[in-house]
Amino acid sequence: MSYLILSIVILLIGILGIILNRSNLIIMLMCVELVLLASTILLLFESRVLYTLSGQIFAIMILTVAAAESAIGLAIMVNYYRLRGTIAVRAINLLRG
Amino acid sequence: MYLLIILIPLLSAVGSGLGGRYLGGKGAGLLTSVWVMASCFISLILCYEILINGSPVYIELGRWIESDLLMTNFGLQFDMVTAVMLIVVTTISGLVHIYSTSYMREDPHLPRFMSYLSIFTFFMLVLVTSNNYVQLFIGWEGVGLCSYLLINFWFTRIQANKAAIKAMLINRIGDIGLILAIILIWKEFGVLDYCSLFSTVSSSSTCTWICLFLTIGAAGKSAQLGLHTWLPDAMEGPTPVSALIHAATMVTAGVFLIIRSAPLFDHSPTATIIVGLVGSLTAFFAATVGLVQSDIKKVIAYSTCSQLGYMIMACGTYNCLSSLYHLLTHAFFKALLFLGAGSIIHSLLDEQDLRKMGGIIRSLPLTYILMLIGSLSLAGFPYLSGFYSKDLILELTYNSYCLISIYWLASITAFLTAFYSFRLIYLSFVAKPNLTLMSAQHLQESDWNLLGPLLVLGVGSILVGYIAQNMVFAPGLRPLPFAPTIISLAPVIMSVTGILLVFILSPYIIYYVSRPSLYGFLFYAWEFNQIANYYIGSTVWKFGHTVSYLTIDRGILEILGPTGIARLLIDRTRDISRLQSGLLFNYALIILVGAALALNYLLVN
Repeated sequence: MSYLILSIVILLIGILGIILNRSNLIIMLMCVELVLLASTILLLFESRVLYTLSGQIFAIMILTVAAAESAIGLAIMVNYYRLRGTIAVRAINLLRG
Repeated sequence: MYLLIILIPLLSAVGSGLGGRYLGGKGAGLLTSVWVMASCFISLILCYEILINGSPVYIELGRWIESDLLMTNFGLQFDMVTAVMLIVVTTISGLVHIYSTSYMREDPHLPRFMSYLSIFTFFMLVLVTSNNYVQLFIGWEGVGLCSYLLINFWFTRIQANKAAIKAMLINRIGDIGLILAIILIWKEFGVLDYCSLFSTVSSSSTCTWICLFLTIGAAGKSAQLGLHTWLPDAMEGPTPVSALIHAATMVTAGVFLIIRSAPLFDHSPTATIIVGLVGSLTAFFAATVGLVQSDIKKVIAYSTCSQLGYMIMACGTYNCLSSLYHLLTHAFFKALLFLGAGSIIHSLLDEQDLRKMGGIIRSLPLTYILMLIGSLSLAGFPYLSGFYSKDLILELTYNSYCLISIYWLASITAFLTAFYSFRLIYLSFVAKPNLTLMSAQHLQESDWNLLGPLLVLGVGSILVGYIAQNMVFAPGLRPLPFAPTIISLAPVIMSVTGILLVFILSPYIIYYVSRPSLYGFLFYAWEFNQIANYYIGSTVWKFGHTVSYLTIDRGILEILGPTGIARLLIDRTRDISRLQSGLLFNYALIILVGAALALNYLLVN
């Protein structure tokens, strides 16, 4: 049960970090990592409780996806920094409707 | 031949209107004059057949409107009333055509003018020869149209434009009356041609309403009190137009309508008394205004208005034939007066102001004699044509059993008529010269194209009254008024007094208006124009601007319609597009909220 609460708390921290963060794009990426971490913890906990392996398989898949995502995300961020000289989130609003 | 009399003016108008550029001014004048005179001779032959040999003709031409309840045919009816009107219309029109070829010689648009005159003659003939009310209405509207075109002939003058629009609009009020009358006739009796209608007519309250609407129609066209203001303004048109349309023919269409509808009026005493009152008041009003006018054409225009009042009044005493008789004689002497005034104006280099005339008796003796004949005839001097018809109407009015005030108004009018017609003669011919040097040097009689019609009309003004009295009042049924000797003599005494009074009062009969006074009140025609402009014109204008235009058209309808909907769509889309701020965390929030809502929806269901 405490694992469940832990994963939900991490998920909420990640989500709030994405929404409330105004300054830095790196924090946003880290928060995405937190969300993925929370889901991984939840999957592992579930595989432990239900005695199945599929949870762990999914956890490994998510680790892979998370690694790839952070790699691509960082690459985008670096490119963005080269272009604009800043990675503040509040500055990324040129595509408003 | 019966069709020919109508078609000749039409063909003449088409020929002169469409072929004017090939014919030129002289050619168009010759063509239309000859053809309309031909029509005039045909009408004389027809009058011999209809009036003297007593053979009315009824021609059915074809079907026009045909539905279950309404049948209207094209048809012609040549009876006594039509025959008299034919003489009036074609004779005056023919003479005016000839007159115009001289009077309008310098005008570059003479073919157009002659075409308008001819098409006017055509519409007038359609009006008088029709055998039903709907076909009458064609002619009725047609002459209104021609009146507009002819007043507006010199279309570069702003006054002419305004006068033409005024004439059209005020006539339109009368036309609405006529349309309502026609609709009511159809509703009440189900037929619109005269023969069927007058054989089925019966007394009812609807009949009174029909007659009242017909009276409104006649008041609009014949310039009766209240709807008369267009007639003096119509003097902006060329003088031949004033003679043809606004003195002799078109304005008598209203009288013709009442004469034609006499069987209806016989069934409605109320409407008949109203007609008599309206006529007598108009006669009195116009005569008082005519006393002080300084424009020579306006004096004659108001006298026309006054004489039309006489005719309408005669209809109001159940004596439509005497009204028709006065119409006939009036057409001759009024056309003579107008054309004579045109001759004076022409000789004085287009000077219309009586105050700038005087003393032209030596230079224009023939015009003087003819104007004198016309004025004496208008004043009802014994043995001229006006005497026969006007005295008859006055005595019949005394004799009739409705209001005696009508008689007194008419008598005073007879006196005033004599006064203002001789005031005109005095001021233009006899008084001390007040001309400009330029016009005094050029003063001479015009050519014979201009004077010939005047001579014919002069002879007509002398003889027509005597000749026609046994023709109009079919076989020897001239109404014999029973009046005391003093009443029979009264009109002659009145008119002679009026004539003499001019020479007694001669130093005082011209006057310059400087301040509000009785003179100014009469000079501005009882302030009718001002009252109508202020209380009706500007009120309607304001209503149209604020209510119809600003509140409804550009207000409610615009908001409910295009502008309002467009603004709504634009505002809402702007709001929605503002939702997309470009900031990532807002998108993330929207995604999460959306996901939560979707999850909630799924879980609840």
